[in-house]
Amino acid sequence: MSNAQLFYVINLLIYAGVDIIACLGLSQQFGVAGVTNFGFIIFQAAGAYTAAILSLPGQSANGGFQSYIGGWNLPFPVPWIGAMIVGGLVALPFTFLVGRRLRGDFAAVGLLITAVMANLLVTNYRPLLNGSAGLSLVPAPLQGKYNPQSQGYQWLYAALTLVLAAAVFLLVQRVTESPYGRSLRAMRDNDLVADSLGKNLLSLRAAMLVLGGMLAALSGAILVGFINLWAPSAWGYAETIVLFAAVIIGGAGSHRGAVLGAILVPVGFEEATRYIPQFGPPGLVQDLQWVAIGLLIVVFLWFRPQGVLPERRRRVGVGGPQVKPVEMPNEDVVTLAGSPWTPGPADAPSHDGVVESGAGRPISRSARSAASPDASPVLRTVGVTRDFGGVHAVADVSIEVRRGTLTGLIGPNGAGKSTLLAMLAGTIAVTSGQVIYQGADVTGVPAYRRARLGLVRTFQLASEFKRLTVMENLLSAVPANRGDTLAGALRGRRYWRRDEEAAIARARELLDRFGLSGYADTYAGDLSGGQRRLTEIMRALMAEPSLLLLDEPMAGVHPRLARQIGTQLLGLCAEGMTILMVEHELAIMDEFCDPVIVMAEGTVLATGTMAALRARTEVVEAYLVG
Amino acid sequence: MSLFLASLGFGLVTAAVLAIAAVGFTMQFAVTDVLNLAYGAVMIASAFVAYSLNQAGVNVWIGMLAAAAAGAAGSVLLNQGIYTPFQRRGSAPVTMVIVSLGMTLIIEFGLQAIVGGTSVSYTMSQGPTVKAGGLVLTTVQLVIIGLSVVVMAGVHGLLRYSKLGKAMRATAANRSLARNCGIRTDRVVTLTWALTGALCGVAGTVFAINNGSFGATSADLFLVVILAAVFLGGPGQAYGAMAGALIIGLATEISAAYINPSYKDVVAFLALLITMAFRPGGVLGATA
Repeated sequence: MSNAQLFYVINLLIYAGVDIIACLGLSQQFGVAGVTNFGFIIFQAAGAYTAAILSLPGQSANGGFQSYIGGWNLPFPVPWIGAMIVGGLVALPFTFLVGRRLRGDFAAVGLLITAVMANLLVTNYRPLLNGSAGLSLVPAPLQGKYNPQSQGYQWLYAALTLVLAAAVFLLVQRVTESPYGRSLRAMRDNDLVADSLGKNLLSLRAAMLVLGGMLAALSGAILVGFINLWAPSAWGYAETIVLFAAVIIGGAGSHRGAVLGAILVPVGFEEATRYIPQFGPPGLVQDLQWVAIGLLIVVFLWFRPQGVLPERRRRVGVGGPQVKPVEMPNEDVVTLAGSPWTPGPADAPSHDGVVESGAGRPISRSARSAASPDASPVLRTVGVTRDFGGVHAVADVSIEVRRGTLTGLIGPNGAGKSTLLAMLAGTIAVTSGQVIYQGADVTGVPAYRRARLGLVRTFQLASEFKRLTVMENLLSAVPANRGDTLAGALRGRRYWRRDEEAAIARARELLDRFGLSGYADTYAGDLSGGQRRLTEIMRALMAEPSLLLLDEPMAGVHPRLARQIGTQLLGLCAEGMTILMVEHELAIMDEFCDPVIVMAEGTVLATGTMAALRARTEVVEAYLVG
Repeated sequence: MSLFLASLGFGLVTAAVLAIAAVGFTMQFAVTDVLNLAYGAVMIASAFVAYSLNQAGVNVWIGMLAAAAAGAAGSVLLNQGIYTPFQRRGSAPVTMVIVSLGMTLIIEFGLQAIVGGTSVSYTMSQGPTVKAGGLVLTTVQLVIIGLSVVVMAGVHGLLRYSKLGKAMRATAANRSLARNCGIRTDRVVTLTWALTGALCGVAGTVFAINNGSFGATSADLFLVVILAAVFLGGPGQAYGAMAGALIIGLATEISAAYINPSYKDVVAFLALLITMAFRPGGVLGATA
């Protein structure tokens, strides 16, 4: 090979490494965590500029033909490390855009526009980073000691880039395949539900912005060290779209796909056009290249949205080696009747008089009522109200849910049942009033923290994490897994394996109990309606609730299965759990719920046993007719 | 003071252009829930339709009608051919934004491949300058303001008093409920896209006129300003977009008189980010 050809190969390798690192950062943010960062290129730019001004000498050193801040002339690898730090710091202000309040597409547009504006500012304001001309003569790493023009140096540079790319791959893979990564994917599939299961969306998204920002910045630093210049034209907002195209085509959610996408789109595409003879007026080929990128995105999203190398299914194995439950060192929970989800002793009701508390066996209502006649309230509300634009969806509701009961909540459509439930769980805020849980005022406590306190809800509409398997759905709700933090995930499987095995064992027991063992490795999105409801209930149970709020858990479920669910729920109550259940089916209420709260038009109409309620005319008129 | 008045005049013209564009954008969002980022690309493509007629000797205001027709046709095609099929499949809003970005690249650079990368201008007379109360405006600028007022009045009449407008508002509020009430929502959506596409075409032409010269990618920054107006008024709110356009138009041009004009769009950008962060439903809280 001639020197020119060798240089070309080196160039290609370095560009491939840089694009792979950037695409892996984006893959982690967008593919795994569902944070659509249309301003991704800002972070690459931040890294490149930071590395440049850290390694450049003062601006007067080279005749003052370019003006910039910094110019500290720092030795390698300080500029690269500094670039990653700055890349992470730049991400922090954006976390306010990706919090829970803003729709994902709005946040994406906000970030896109930020990229456009950042480029505009840097272009027009010369003193900062030399404006539109950009920075040139950026020193190559260690250029005082070695000759950057030598082939040996360039091979080493390419090798270092590829080694870093491999290291980044292992890093993101480690994060993604941990319990923390599972939480990220759960958030991606349904953030509202992840929130209700105790996931702190803001902190998850902030961490992903920072991690992705650091990786993008590293890619920028490597690039600027090799090409020695950096200007606003290198990071137009559209460059982000190229990276998105790479991740989508490779396979969103799959890091192998991101690597492939990086090689196919930014590298392969640019190189391929090199070999097309230039035709037409100047710029035509570039224009068509952009059109092709746009077409690739739209066509792939339509025909193969999962990409070339789709996210793989994480199998735990149905008939695989049984994992023995591990005795947790800090476990002080006394499990009753072998049930793995019983809340702590503090929540346990008195079991005097309960004869049949065996898991899964039906217990007559009267027997259970006798169990705890003077049970204290786990939850009560004081004058809770919610207005939607002048409409009182819930008005001045004060209820009590006593410990160990399976309390029913009925009422006609629009009575405010789901709104009340959402306020109890913290999914929506109260307009006025108080929610008291376990004696503490939790009115201002966000949903994810209420979930961690044991106040867990399910949703009226199907809310499974579609692209997680049933087993993963269950595991995603486990609180306090050591691997469910970024730091824990980075420490590797050895650190969190025991927690994970214990959780899997617990999940297997639940799957057995609800008869879904055969579906552990099925994507939740592929289940039937009834199976999804069961999965949601099991998932909520995995969160170790003290008080479970169920929103029509039996809607759309076969009546026989509904009765089985009801029986299971009674069993759970007998073991110490408290359940508040919204349900339309009166037969279910008759059979399982005591007491029952009747709501109509946003207020509580009556509370009592179903038999007592049927005797009251105003209740019958409002709801029970027929 | 004269500086302020001069910039106030510019602000009114910008607000007039912006209002036409923003109302179209926000109504598209209202009925289909898609943030159509390709809106700016369709604007400029329509402006080039007017340009090709203008080159053939047609008056630019007549060319604008052709641009409106082209914008309407293009928008209906975009919605029917691309967005609706994706939505029928249940694509998430974020996916829709990515698709619209892909379409932006296709339209914008497809256009640039045809018309080339250089900027062009309409052949037209600016007309005599008019002075009123310290404001100095050209006849063309006055016509743009007048046109915008007429369009806003038309939109108001449509939404308030026509059956179609009521159907649009019903569809925007709750599509499936509207369908169950006997409204043919698919038709309403198509008509809305035709109408807003026409607004988009008109907006593209007056934007090009007001800008002096324009190229295939000229609307990139203007899209930021449109989004700022739309979000300030609350996404999907037609009257909010009008108010947002007035505020953003005046704010950008008046600030341009006192800071470096290169940064005037930054004002719009900051307004947008602050709105998104603190009042994602819009600051003005209009109900329409």
